[in-house]
Amino acid sequence: MTIEINFFILIALYVCGAVGALLFRKNDQIANWWSGIMAIIGSLWGIVFAINSFLHYSKNIFTYDYSVFPLLNLSFHIDQLSAFFIFIISLIALFCSIYGIDYVKHFYKKYDLGVLGFFYHLFIAGMLLVVSATNGLLFLIAWEIMAVSSYFLVVYDRENKNNVDAGFLYLIMTHVGTAFIVLAFLIMYVFAGSFDFTAIKAGLVSMPDFFKNTIFVLALIGFGTKAGIIPVHIWLPSAHPAAPSHISALMSGVMIKTGIYMMIRIFFDMFSSIPLWWGIVVLIVGATSALLGVLYALTEHDLKRLLAYHSIENIGIILLGLGSSLIFYSLGNLTLAIFSLAAALFHILNHAVFKALLFLSAGSVISQTHTRNIEKYGGLIKYMPLTAFFFLIGSVAISGLPPFNGFFSEWMTFQSLLQGIASTDIFIKLIFVLAAGSLALTGGLALVCFVKVFGATFLARPRSEIVKQAKESSILFSLSMGALATICLIFGIASGYFGILLTKISASLNIFQNATLFFNESINGSLITPNGSATVSAPLWFIVFALILILVIFWVKFLINKNQIIKIGATWDCGINLNERMEITATGFSRSIVTIFSHILRPSIQHEVEYNDSEMRFLHKSKIVRLEIHDVYQTYFYQPIHKLISILSSKAKSIQSGNINIYILYILITLIFILFLL
Amino acid sequence: MLKLLLKILKTPKQVIPETTFSVKTEEVVVLGEKIKDKVKKLFNGSLAIRQVDAGSDNACEQELVALSNAFYDIERFGIHFVASPKHADMLIVTGPVTRNMAEALRRAYDATPDPKIIIAVGDDAINGGIFKGSYATLDGIDSVIPVHYGIPGNPPSPKTILAHLLNILEKIEQNKIIKR
Repeated sequence: MTIEINFFILIALYVCGAVGALLFRKNDQIANWWSGIMAIIGSLWGIVFAINSFLHYSKNIFTYDYSVFPLLNLSFHIDQLSAFFIFIISLIALFCSIYGIDYVKHFYKKYDLGVLGFFYHLFIAGMLLVVSATNGLLFLIAWEIMAVSSYFLVVYDRENKNNVDAGFLYLIMTHVGTAFIVLAFLIMYVFAGSFDFTAIKAGLVSMPDFFKNTIFVLALIGFGTKAGIIPVHIWLPSAHPAAPSHISALMSGVMIKTGIYMMIRIFFDMFSSIPLWWGIVVLIVGATSALLGVLYALTEHDLKRLLAYHSIENIGIILLGLGSSLIFYSLGNLTLAIFSLAAALFHILNHAVFKALLFLSAGSVISQTHTRNIEKYGGLIKYMPLTAFFFLIGSVAISGLPPFNGFFSEWMTFQSLLQGIASTDIFIKLIFVLAAGSLALTGGLALVCFVKVFGATFLARPRSEIVKQAKESSILFSLSMGALATICLIFGIASGYFGILLTKISASLNIFQNATLFFNESINGSLITPNGSATVSAPLWFIVFALILILVIFWVKFLINKNQIIKIGATWDCGINLNERMEITATGFSRSIVTIFSHILRPSIQHEVEYNDSEMRFLHKSKIVRLEIHDVYQTYFYQPIHKLISILSSKAKSIQSGNINIYILYILITLIFILFLL
Repeated sequence: MLKLLLKILKTPKQVIPETTFSVKTEEVVVLGEKIKDKVKKLFNGSLAIRQVDAGSDNACEQELVALSNAFYDIERFGIHFVASPKHADMLIVTGPVTRNMAEALRRAYDATPDPKIIIAVGDDAINGGIFKGSYATLDGIDSVIPVHYGIPGNPPSPKTILAHLLNILEKIEQNKIIKR
C-alpha cells in the first residue's frame, strides 16, 4: 500500500508545483524558484521511488484501479519497465530543473515564468503518467497532456516567429501520430471490449492476424512520430531548437523515449506471438533512421538542430536493438531476444544522459553567445573551459568511445546484430549484415560530426566578436552538467551491472515469461553476451586507459622532455597575421562527406556574383555562395500528401453548394441510409 | 627587446675577409665530404637551413639557389633548405634589412628553435654594403638580431659559401659560435 501512496505523492508533487507556479506568477523570481525547487524535490522523489521499486519488488510492483467512468479507469500499473522509465525521467528532470533555475533568468520581465513552470511540471507529470497508465483512455489523456504542454514549452519564446512555426509543425505532427495511436487502440477495443491493458492483452490472443499487423503498423507510425523515426521526423529538428535548452534536453532525452516505451509495451507485453517481418521492418526503420539522422546532422550548422538530428540517429540505434530482439523472438531464440532488448533499454538510458548533457552545454554556449550558428563560434574553450570539458565528455559518450556509457550500449547492440548474422536463414543473415554495417557507419559518422562540432565551437580562434564576450557558465549550470558528465562515466564503468539489471527488466516482460532465465554472470563487472562469445570489461578498460594516460604523461614529462626547455611563442604564420578566416569551418569540414553522400543529401550550390564592371567580368564586387541541403522528405513525401489533401478538400467542397434544397436532400439520403442500417 | 639588444651586443661576429680565405684550390666534392662528416657528427646527418630575404637585391639568392643545383647539390652532404624557421637549425639572412622587413626578420628569429645559428650572407647583410646609410635600410642584420657569422662577398660564390659553411661547422665543433 505504501508504494501506491508514494507514487501518488510523486504525481501530487508535480501537480502542486504546477499550480503553485501559476499562483506565484506575479513575481518572476518566486515563480521560478518555486517551480525549480518543486521539480527538484519531485524528481528526487521519483529517483528514490524507482530505485526502491527495483530493490524491494520483483516483477509487478503495484496495480491501482479506480473506475470513474464506464470506459475510463484511473488504473496505474507499475512493473519493472515502468519503474525503469520513471527512473530515466526523474534523473534527467532533476538536472534539467537545476539547470533551468538559472537558465530562465533571461526571461524575467519578458515572459510569464509562472506559465513556464506550470507547463514544465505538467510535462513531466504527463510523461510519468504515460509510462504508468494501463488504461487506453487514461494513457491517451496522459499522452495529450505531455504533447500539449510540450507544445506550449516549444512556443514559450514566442517573439521569435520561427519558434511559433516550429511549435505549429510539432503540434500537427504529434497529433497525426496520436491519430494513428487512437486508431490502434480502437481496433484493440473492438476485440477486447475494454481499454484496459490486461483485457487487451487477453483479447489480442484471439485476434486475426490481419488486425494484429494493422495494429503493429499503426503503432509503429504513431509512436514512431513521437520517437522521431525517418520519414516522420520533421518536427524534431525544428521543435528542439525552439524550446529553451533545458526543455530541449528533456524532450530529446526523455520525451521521444516514451514512444519507444509504448512500442516495447505493445509489442513485447501485449502481443504473445510476433511474425518475423515485424522485426525486420523495425530493424530496417532503425538502420535508415540511424544512418540518415547522422548524415543530416553532419550537414547542419545550427547547434541544437544538429543535436536534434543526433536524437533521430540514436532512436535508430535503439530501434536496431528492438528490431533484432523481435526477430530473435520470432526465431525462438529467447536469450538473445532478451539480450537485444536489454541493449535497447541500455541505449535509451545512456542516450538520455549524454543527450541531456549535450543540450545543457549547448544551452550554456547559446546563453552566452546568443546564436545557434556554429560558424559564429570558435575558440570558446578559452572563455568557457568547464563547459567545453563537459561538452567534450558528452561528445565522446555519444560517439560511442570507451570508457563512457555510449560505447557499452552500442557494443551490446553490435553484439546482438552480429549474433543475428550467425543465423541460418540467408535472408535474415543479409538483413543483419546490412544493419550491422549501417550501425558501424553511423558510429564513424557520429564521431566525425562531433569532431566537427567540438572543433568549430571550442577550438581555434573566435570567428565573431560575440564569442569574445562569453563568460564561463554559472555554478548551477556547471553543477548540472558536471553531474551528468560524471553519470556518463559511472554508467560506463558500471555497465556490467547495468547489463544484468536490464536483462532482468527485459525478462520480466510478458512475452518472455516462458524464457529460461539466464543472467550472464558478471566477472569483474564486465558485459558478456549470452553465449559468452564476447566480453567487454568496463573497469578493466578504465584501468587500461588510466594506465596508458599516466604512462604517456610520465613518458613525455620525464623521459622525452627531460632535457628540453619548452618555449612558448607565437604560431608561425609566414609573416601574414593569422585571422579567423583562415580556419576550417564546419561547412568545410563536412564538405567531403556531403560530396560522398550527395545522392542522398542532394546538396545544392548557388553562386551569386556581383561585378564591379558588368562588361569586363574580372573584378568581383561581392560573391555569395549558398550551400543548401535539399529537403527530400518535404518534396517527395509531405508535399504530395499536402497536394492530395488539398485536391480532396476542393473536391469535397463541391458538395457544399450553398443551395438549401440540396442540403435537405443530403439530410433525406442520410436518414434513409441510417434507417436501412438499423 | 632589451634582452635581444644585449644579445646582439654580446654575440661575437666573425667576418673573414675574402682575400684571406681562398677556396680556389679545393674541389667542391672534397669540401662537401668534409662538410658531410661534420654534419654527421654535429647534426645527426642533417642540417636544416632557413633562408630569409631581408630586402636583398637577389644576388645572394641566386648563389644560394645554385647550391641546390645539379653541380653543387648540397643535399648529398646533408644540408637542405627548409620552408619554415620552425624546422631550421640555421638561419641564413641576406639583404641589408629594409625597414619593412625588420619585423618579419625578428619574427623569423623568434620562431627558430634554440640553439639557433644566424649567418649573414653578403656584404649587404653584414653592414649594409652598397645600401649603407640609406634611409630605407637598417645597415646590416646585426642591428635587428644577433649574428654569429658573416660570409662576405657581393655576392659570395656558391663555392665560397660552402667553404664558409665548413668553417662555421668547425667553429661550432670548437664551441666558438654557440654553446653545445
